[in-house]
Parts: sequence; structure tokens; C-alpha cells
Amino acid sequence: MNWVGFNTLILREVGRFFSVYRQTVLPGLITSGLYIAIFGFTLEQRISEIQGVPYTLFILPGLIMMNTLTNATSNTSSSMLQMKLLQQLPDLLTAPLSGFEISIAYIIGGAVRGMVNGVLVLLLGMALIGMPVKDPLGTIIFIFLVSWAFSSMGLLLGQLAESWDQLAMMQNFFLTPLSFLGGIFYSIKMLPEWAQTLSFINPIYYMINGIRYTILGVSDSPVSISYTMAIILTISFTMSSIFLMQSGKKIKQ
Amino acid sequence: MSSPAIEIKGLTKSYGNVHALNGVDIKINEGEFFGLLGPNGAGKTTTINILTGLVFRDKGSTEVFGKDTVNDYRFTRSKIGIAAQEFSVDWFFPIEKLLFFQAGYYGIRKKDAKPTIDKLLARLGLEKKKDARLRQLSGGMKRRFQLAKALVHDPDIIILDEPTAGVDVELRRDLWQYLRDLHSKGKTILLTTHYIEEAELLCENVAIIDEGKILKEGPPKILTQELGTAGISINIGNTNQKLDSYFSEYTYTIEKNRLHFSVKDPDKALPKIIKKLSEADIHINSIDSSRSSLEDVFLNLTGKGINE
Repeated sequence: MNWVGFNTLILREVGRFFSVYRQTVLPGLITSGLYIAIFGFTLEQRISEIQGVPYTLFILPGLIMMNTLTNATSNTSSSMLQMKLLQQLPDLLTAPLSGFEISIAYIIGGAVRGMVNGVLVLLLGMALIGMPVKDPLGTIIFIFLVSWAFSSMGLLLGQLAESWDQLAMMQNFFLTPLSFLGGIFYSIKMLPEWAQTLSFINPIYYMINGIRYTILGVSDSPVSISYTMAIILTISFTMSSIFLMQSGKKIKQ
Repeated sequence: MSSPAIEIKGLTKSYGNVHALNGVDIKINEGEFFGLLGPNGAGKTTTINILTGLVFRDKGSTEVFGKDTVNDYRFTRSKIGIAAQEFSVDWFFPIEKLLFFQAGYYGIRKKDAKPTIDKLLARLGLEKKKDARLRQLSGGMKRRFQLAKALVHDPDIIILDEPTAGVDVELRRDLWQYLRDLHSKGKTILLTTHYIEEAELLCENVAIIDEGKILKEGPPKILTQELGTAGISINIGNTNQKLDSYFSEYTYTIEKNRLHFSVKDPDKALPKIIKKLSEADIHINSIDSSRSSLEDVFLNLTGKGINE
């Protein structure tokens, strides 16, 4: 194991997103603040409570989750694609680093960004509307698992994509709709039965309900299923991204 | 006997139907300055990229100090520093930081890398630009940064892919001097270049590659003697003698008072020609010689110029 090389790459990846925090950290906070303000002042007058929880509080765990997973995904996917398109990847591939070391360092970089963004929105919710956190450790574990899983997925997408257009397509046509349809703004019990059934095949649904349970103690599905799903996603995306990196497909000729 | 610094045997690589390498064999001894000469698309960069792990080989072997570049990649990559032809673009970090990252990838901690990085920045005239981003550097500075990046882990083997492409004459000479200094310190250098003059001036051995095959290999001087021709022009005082009896073994032409000989090795031929002219009692007014160059050799072997 090349520990110095591995740590250097982690530092680079974390340093990279912190160096452009206006693009990578602040937007999520501002958007979440806007959601809280707009939904708090407008929609809460019409939808007062869901599952016994005030509407603004109900959507906050979903916002934390959306912020966490989009940031984790975009960190690794954009960094990897940038490396490919701007000729930076050869610096890594000609160094004495294994595919495993490169993958894990990248995933950690993305997971840190996901966690920073998730925790900041959590703190924002606590500060702005006094959101109670029922199970702080469970919440952090959830934010960590989702950050890691989606950071790995982002790495996979970054390796597979050959242009910004392809990457944007994967994010806009799959990730964003799945996030919104995962029940950030509603309980799936408010949906018709067919739509409820569809939600069960959306992995993000389990992530949102998992973190909602750890924060508010309410959920559309058992928290054990959410944990299981998060662990399965973490393991499968991590393994796939490492395997692809080690194989050199899409990054070597 | 120790293993060669680089040994490539029977290397092949195809991209679909395009055969980029068709059985390349190269051996570079430790401390050698070796040039790989060839036109665009000849297979130079593919060869280098296979050595450094950027491209998969189809068949053949690639070894660095006796170790396979695939199975023992950690060892072989740690021995090589590569200055790629294409500039990488990183707009997040200043160039000094990028050098620290590069050293880190090779397992060198920040405090250990600092003296080398300071020295490189100073030697390559980048000290004042250490806090600049890559996009703020001129083309020549980017080229020097590429070299600094290749040297940051003090590699035994330095691979330079067209290191002076697009740089002005002054900088090119400065880089040549730096490469000579590195070579004198025992570094093994593999250089690919379009500039034949560069290979002639710097390299102890060159290999001429075209269409994925090594056509000829050897010291530039020997290659030019074997395959090139030089000219010796002598302005003589009188032409009444029958010259054929003196110069039957030479290829020569005579025009007015000017005798022109085509020879393989002008250093050896000139004293003999002068002796024969003296025997023939012919007065010599002036002598002019033009040396053969690797360019002639390249032309003879490939039937085309290096930039065609």
C-alpha cells in the first residue's frame, strides 16, 4: 500500500472542492435555506402536518439527503471526468498507485463533500427551525453511508462518461428525478397505490426514509430496510467502481 | 551483469484495425541517452505509454531494470519520470502545490519533497511563478513545469516525449543543457523528438521508428556513416591530369575547377583524397565539406522526411 500517495490523493480531492467552496458548499446551504423559507411560509399553511410532523420539519431530512447524495456524486464524477478530459489522469496512472488506492481516495474525497454538505444542512435546520434530532449517531451514520455510496456511484459515472453532456444526462435524467420521487416533499402514503409500488424500487426512497426516521422518528418504511439498502448500495457501488478502475476500461487504451 | 534500464521485446499494439506497434524491440542501458525518432503516428508515444502504464500492450514484454511493467508496476513506475507531450490542465492549485502532489503520489512526504521542489523551481526558472496557476503560464513555462513534474521524485529513468516542441530557440538550448547535466549525473534518458538536430546533439543511441517498427538502431555517428552520405568539395588549381586513375574507387564529379566527392565518412576520406591530389601534383585552393546527418539516414530508411 502506497500510504503517502493515497493520503496525497485524498488531500487533493478534498482540497479541490474546498478551493471552490462557492460552487461546492454554499449552494446547497442557500438552496436548503430557500426551501425552508418558502415551504415554511407558504406550503405549511396548506399542509400543516404529515405523520404528525410539521411540514417544514418533515421535508428537512429529505433535503439533507438530497444535498448529501448530489454533492457526493458530483464530486467524484466531475473530478474524474475533468481528470480525463484535461489530461490530468496520466499523472495518477503513471504513478505507483493501485486502482484500489486511487478509487478509495476518490471515494473518500466525495464522501467528505457529501458529509460536509449534509451536516451543514442538518445544522441549518437545527438553527433555523429548531429541528430536533432523535438519534444523532444514526443520523451521522446514515449521512456517512449515503455519502460513501453515492460518491462511489459518482466515481463509476465519471469513469464511464466521455463528455460533460453524458454526465449531465445521467445526473439530470436519473439522479435528480429519483431524489424528488423518493419522497423528499411527501409521504408515499399520499400517492396512489401504483406510484407507491414504484417508489419501492427507488433506492433513494429508502435513504430519505432512513434519515427521516433517525431525525424525526417517523418513516414510510422500516429503518432496518433503509440501513440494509444503504449498506448494499455502499458495497455494490464501491466494488463496481474499484473493479472498473482496476480493469482500466474507459480510462486506459 | 545488471539488467538494462529499459528492455522492450516484440511489443505489439493495435487499435481496432490500426497496427500501432508491430514488434518493437528496444534495449536501453543504465545511464544511456537514447532517442526514439519517428514521424507522427510512428508509434513513439504508444511505446512510451505502454512502458508507463497508460496503454495496454497486446503482445511482447516491457521491462524496467529487469521487472515487468505490468506485474511489478509499483517498482517500475517509481523508477520512471515522464514529461508528456500534452500539457495537463489543473486550475485548482498553484504549480508548487501540484509538484507536492506529484511527489506525494510517488510516496514522498511534503517535508522530504521540499528541497527537490525548491531546486527544480529555481533551476527551471519557475521560482517567481510558484504561486501561479497553470493557465497563467506561457507555453515555454508549461513545458518546463512538465519537466519539473517528471523530476520531482528523482527518477533513475527520465522519459521525455517531445520535450522541446513549441519552445523558442533560447529555451530549447537551455533545456538541452539541463538534459546533458542530468545525463552526466547518471540518469537514463529516453527522448522522442521530431528535431533530428536534438537527437544528434544529445543522444548516444537512437532508434528510427516508422509504422510501428524499429528500422534501424545505433549511435547517430555510426548510422550516418553507414547510411548517410557526405560531400567533400575541393577547388583545384589545374585540371589537366587524368583523375580517373587516381580516384577510381570514389564517386565524384568535376565541374570547371571544382571536384565534388560523395563519401560515407569524410573524416577518413579527406586525408586520402588530399594525398592522391598531391600525388597527381594538383594544387588545392580550398576544401569544403558537408557532413551527412541523421536526416539523410531517416530519409534513406523511410523514404520520407520526419515531419511528413
